Amino acid sequence: MASPKGQTIDLATLTTAQLSQVKKQLDDELEHLTNSFTQLRAAQAKFRECLRSIAGGVTPKVEGKPILVPLTTSLYVPGTLADPENVIVDVGTGFYVEKSTKDATKFYEAKVEELGANLKDLESIVQGKSNNLRVVEDVLRQKVLSASSAASASTSTS
Amino acid sequence: MADAQHQLQALSDEYQKLQQDLQNSINSRQKLESQQQENKGVQKEFASLKDDANIYKLVGPVLLKQDKTEAVMAVDGRLEFIDKEIRRIEKQIKDVQEKSDQIRSQIIQIQSEAPQAAAQAV
Repeated sequence: MASPKGQTIDLATLTTAQLSQVKKQLDDELEHLTNSFTQLRAAQAKFRECLRSIAGGVTPKVEGKPILVPLTTSLYVPGTLADPENVIVDVGTGFYVEKSTKDATKFYEAKVEELGANLKDLESIVQGKSNNLRVVEDVLRQKVLSASSAASASTSTS
Repeated sequence: MADAQHQLQALSDEYQKLQQDLQNSINSRQKLESQQQENKGVQKEFASLKDDANIYKLVGPVLLKQDKTEAVMAVDGRLEFIDKEIRRIEKQIKDVQEKSDQIRSQIIQIQSEAPQAAAQAV
């Protein structure tokens, strides 16, 4: 992403300072990507939760039975489900659409699938970056080791 | 010699300021991108709805019922606005990048001249 395309640089020719800079950049990128990964996971879990709620909470079976409706996380009022066929779905940017439970299930399933595809893409990117990072770290370690052994060799001869 | 150092200081200050600007612009660009994605998702969702579907808009704490054509128009308008904003920010990013590249090459030039000047002084 950051390095210009079609240009390859032999890592061994870089100085330790440059290598640590490359390592830092890769570390940052990796952290950013892992954060996105966690966020996507959380979003996917949320949609799955919606699916479960529709399957278990909004069916004709529940009609007429009293349920407790949360007004806040600690305050509940009793109520009954007026319409077990339709739900109102948040489609984003402040818009809500009334859907039948079947359509809503389809909607959430599509969302979960879409996020799953994104997660897969992201995973392969993260893997590639980790590989890059490992290679850079290896070269950096060798550099440092050879530099310190060269330094000790020169001090012992002088 | 002091003159060159002065100049170098001023240039690097400016460079840092430009980098800050660049970061800000990139952040706004990212925010716009996520808004665009969200609106595109809504647009796609609207396209698959029937014309008589019940659409509500969140206004403060209440949901107001809205016409589909109206809602579609609102989202289209937003996407258009976001498109324009993205183009504007991208141009801004390009400008700042060009400017900071210029300053960087100036800094490098001064730095490469400095040792020679120091050598002449000795």
